[in-house]
Amino acid sequence: MSSKITRRSMLRGTALATVGAAGAGATFFGPWKHNRVYAAGTNKPIKIGLTHDASGQFANSGQAEKRGTIMAIEEANAKGGVLGRQVEYVWMDTETTPQTGTRVAERLITRENVHFLVGAIQSGTANAISQVAQKYGCVYFNTNSSSPTESGKNCHRVKFVWDGSGENFSRAAAKNAIDAFGKKWMFLYNDYVWGQNTNKATKMVATQYGASTVDEVAIPVGTRDFSSILLKIQQQKPDVVAAAVGGDDFKVMRKQVSDMGLDSKPAWLNNQQDWPDIYGLGSDAAFGVFGTTWYHLLDLPGVKEFVGRYQASYPTTRIAVPGNVTYNGYIAMRELLRVVEETGGTDNTKIIKALEGRKMSATDRMQTHGAVIDPDSHHVQQTVYLARRNKKPKDKTDYFEILSAADPESVRASADAACMLESFAKTPSYDQG
Amino acid sequence: MFDFLIGLLPHLLNGVALGLLFALLSLGFMLIIGVMEVINLAHGSLFALGAYFAVMLMGQDGGLPFAFMQSYYDLPAIPRYIIALIVAPALVGVVGMGLEICLRRTYGKDPLYGLLLTFGAALVLEEVIREIWGPAEYFLPLPKAISGGFFFGDLIYSNYRIFAAIFAMAMIGLLWAFLNRTPYGAVIKAGAHDSEMVRVLGYNLSRLRLYVFAFGAALAAIAGIIMAPIWGVRPHVGVDAVIPAFVVIVLGGVGSFWGAVSAGLLVGMMVALTAAFLTEWSLLSMYLLLLVVVTFRSRGFAGKASALEQ
Amino acid sequence: MSILPQALSARLANWFTAPMLVSFLVFGTMPFWIDAVGLYQYLGVEVMIWVIFALAVNLLLGYTGLPSFGHGAFLGIGAYAYGLTQFNVAANLWISLLGAVVVTAALGGLVAALISHRRGIYFALMTIACAQIFYFVASKWTDMTGGEDGLLNILRLPVDLGLTEFSIKSNFNLYYLCFAAYVIIVVLMWRLVHSPFGQIIRAIKQNDSRVAFLGYNVWLYKWLIFTLSCAISGLAGALFAMAQEGAYINIMSLQWSGIVILMVLIGGGFINFWGPVLGVIFYFLARDILGAYTDTWLLWFGLIFVIMVMFKPEGLAGIWHDAQSMFGRRKAKPQPDPSAKPSHAGGD
Repeated sequence: MSSKITRRSMLRGTALATVGAAGAGATFFGPWKHNRVYAAGTNKPIKIGLTHDASGQFANSGQAEKRGTIMAIEEANAKGGVLGRQVEYVWMDTETTPQTGTRVAERLITRENVHFLVGAIQSGTANAISQVAQKYGCVYFNTNSSSPTESGKNCHRVKFVWDGSGENFSRAAAKNAIDAFGKKWMFLYNDYVWGQNTNKATKMVATQYGASTVDEVAIPVGTRDFSSILLKIQQQKPDVVAAAVGGDDFKVMRKQVSDMGLDSKPAWLNNQQDWPDIYGLGSDAAFGVFGTTWYHLLDLPGVKEFVGRYQASYPTTRIAVPGNVTYNGYIAMRELLRVVEETGGTDNTKIIKALEGRKMSATDRMQTHGAVIDPDSHHVQQTVYLARRNKKPKDKTDYFEILSAADPESVRASADAACMLESFAKTPSYDQG
Repeated sequence: MFDFLIGLLPHLLNGVALGLLFALLSLGFMLIIGVMEVINLAHGSLFALGAYFAVMLMGQDGGLPFAFMQSYYDLPAIPRYIIALIVAPALVGVVGMGLEICLRRTYGKDPLYGLLLTFGAALVLEEVIREIWGPAEYFLPLPKAISGGFFFGDLIYSNYRIFAAIFAMAMIGLLWAFLNRTPYGAVIKAGAHDSEMVRVLGYNLSRLRLYVFAFGAALAAIAGIIMAPIWGVRPHVGVDAVIPAFVVIVLGGVGSFWGAVSAGLLVGMMVALTAAFLTEWSLLSMYLLLLVVVTFRSRGFAGKASALEQ
Repeated sequence: MSILPQALSARLANWFTAPMLVSFLVFGTMPFWIDAVGLYQYLGVEVMIWVIFALAVNLLLGYTGLPSFGHGAFLGIGAYAYGLTQFNVAANLWISLLGAVVVTAALGGLVAALISHRRGIYFALMTIACAQIFYFVASKWTDMTGGEDGLLNILRLPVDLGLTEFSIKSNFNLYYLCFAAYVIIVVLMWRLVHSPFGQIIRAIKQNDSRVAFLGYNVWLYKWLIFTLSCAISGLAGALFAMAQEGAYINIMSLQWSGIVILMVLIGGGFINFWGPVLGVIFYFLARDILGAYTDTWLLWFGLIFVIMVMFKPEGLAGIWHDAQSMFGRRKAKPQPDPSAKPSHAGGD
């Protein structure tokens, strides 16, 4: 019992303290709003379960998205909450481990009685959480797992996927790369489900545009030495190396490629570059052409202000500017809270229906094109940027040079067609009041 | 055929370079297991700690924020790198001493307890690293002289790899010379087989064990610093080091210096060649090799009888 | 028990002991009070599964002295086998459970055949190598296992008891399936380790060359106990697949194999049959309670573990024994009742 009370009060304490520190004096709503909500039947806070990793392979990205989601919550509270109710969060470390994800989701739903679940980096953990969420009917936002299967064959009625998928990034990159670099392609991919699927998508698109395959190399997960593969690349002399290598393996490969000075000779096509994985390593660490959904120096309205608010909220964080991972977390959470406000409650069916097919404007999302939540796959269709290392950085965080901004329709993922959402009848109704 | 051989050559050379790194990775592990019969699962964490201390001593991102360090960080890269290569292992050696003092209580018991204690210590050290430096990646800046690419016909190879391979060779040679050509080495080796002998020779056995453990920890740290530019620096990087070290030692045979070195070379060659020609199996190859060798030769290539087999 | 005839009472005491009955009482009522103490049903399910798994590991580690450092692989194999049997053979609980146990035992038997002639650290190493091979195969073979995504949508099939059947869709009901498995495993395992077979495996732990000298086939005994341990791990894996409604690869990693060893030893598996049970409870409680106070709960747990190895390597069971003997000394000889006396017949 004691642990229950302590945890809750502690988390609430920190949440409120940071809101206070952020300069929001009026966190406790006035008596009028209070009464209105009371009349509507409840004044209890809206409680959100955060499932961000703090340990394991994706600890760093997990913490980055956590900064984004919490920022959105604090901004909502500073405006007087949602429906006049405070927004609270309970965060638990999912450890980049599915079995921990399952337990955390069970705990958050059955013991903490959260209204919603938000947070994911790795697809296995996201799946584990989403299965539990679907079982209870709790709406769950997968903020950052980009496996094409997330919004494809492993989709769920309660799950919404906010990052671009591996296939989106492949589609954005492939055509450009053929035109710019040549038709002799070599494919490298991590031999697990994300790598295999992403590679399949890249190869399909590249072949459509006339690329020929020099070689296709499956790299086991956990590879720490790429020297043999790099020698092999030099011997085979492809024009383009399309790599779908992820996680720590990618970080290691990146080091070894730049160490051998091979980052410019064949053109490298890397699927996605998450900001927390590169920040602190300098722009030299960005190699090849890669995709991202957002960049903190995009010349778009609202970007500068968003970066400023991030810096005010997290003055001591090592990652001094927000990147795509934080951005996805922030945008997803902000949209969730807006939908709660619009539907006037936390009923899962109403929330899901409001999200399906929801359009979000380009300005609102600080992207070049507008975005839409696909009603059939629950995948956010959004702008995909291609970028490469910035040779003329404006400041010391300016690692990327943005090359293009692909329209969501042009990079739509075919894997999403495999999605078969559960019917509403088969999804339990869920409302924690 | 000729083309194939020409194509094979760089991979063979790469295999040797890689093998030397595997051997370097295992030196500290070998010393501790050989002399003290302790399986030091904290080897990986000490390896990681070495890399983090080196990052701290190289400055740039990850340096200490104290004003008095500033003039030190203004030194050119080469002296800073040399200092890092000496001071970081020394600091890790001190950590190793602390660990050895904890380990004393397990001496004379089932060797499993030593292994478990170091497993617990590995958990603790990794979390401490995460607390101090955070979960994000760091990199170890290098002097210009040992970075960049090296032209090898029309192939490019990393200068740093060549440096690392030579460094590993030198470390192997120095350690061998220390163990076999100095009186300290003789005492350490005596300790490995006969602790009575050490007492008879007039040395304090518990102090000897303290120093050997510190030395083993320092060797782990050196490996960590050398591998840092190749693998990167992150809190769980130690896991990548401890498993290969384990494999190398078992293949080579517990207690055998040259067994470990030759096992390192063999593993390196095996990994390099499978990565070049059968990439999908390159990680499994190490374990398959281990299974095959240990099935037929219970103590690896050159292992001696050890209390660890009980 | 004094009402029962002496002979029957003695025979029952062979099968059931006081600590066993206490554990049945505590675990048997847990779903009714777990919410009240601030925990949740799923945690109970997970504890029950890990208890079964830890008991299986201790059969090797504590009783036979065989350190298997790759046992997580067998938990994972059991989970996959359960799911795959369900999808490809028959969607029936018993058949799927059988599939999980048989497949895990078969692969365990194969591994055991490769390593049963080894001892000590070489044995441990070979288990690590085999576990790594299973891990990579599971990670790579995505058509079969789903790889990193996991093998998803595994069903909690109804428990068909012939005349009646009940659903285990709720965690509450699933818990009782796990509890039933626990009761059966504990009773049989207790009998096993106190049978002549149990004496031989304990003798193997003490000195296997002497056992061989006495004419026993040590290899065969090691093979049998390893395979049996894997079969039980497979059962735990199947229950885990039901609990998670999926099978995931992470459980097969070396880290988790290490953590189960840590649970067994912190509980005192070396000296007491109940050590693994205590260890698992301690681990999950520590994680929930420490986890509520600090993000770095593993740091504190690691420290507790290190201190335990240093000062009380017999673990929680050792502390319990000490407390008991202190208590016994102060209360000079309470009424001697051999049938109620808890017997600590552990490894040593």
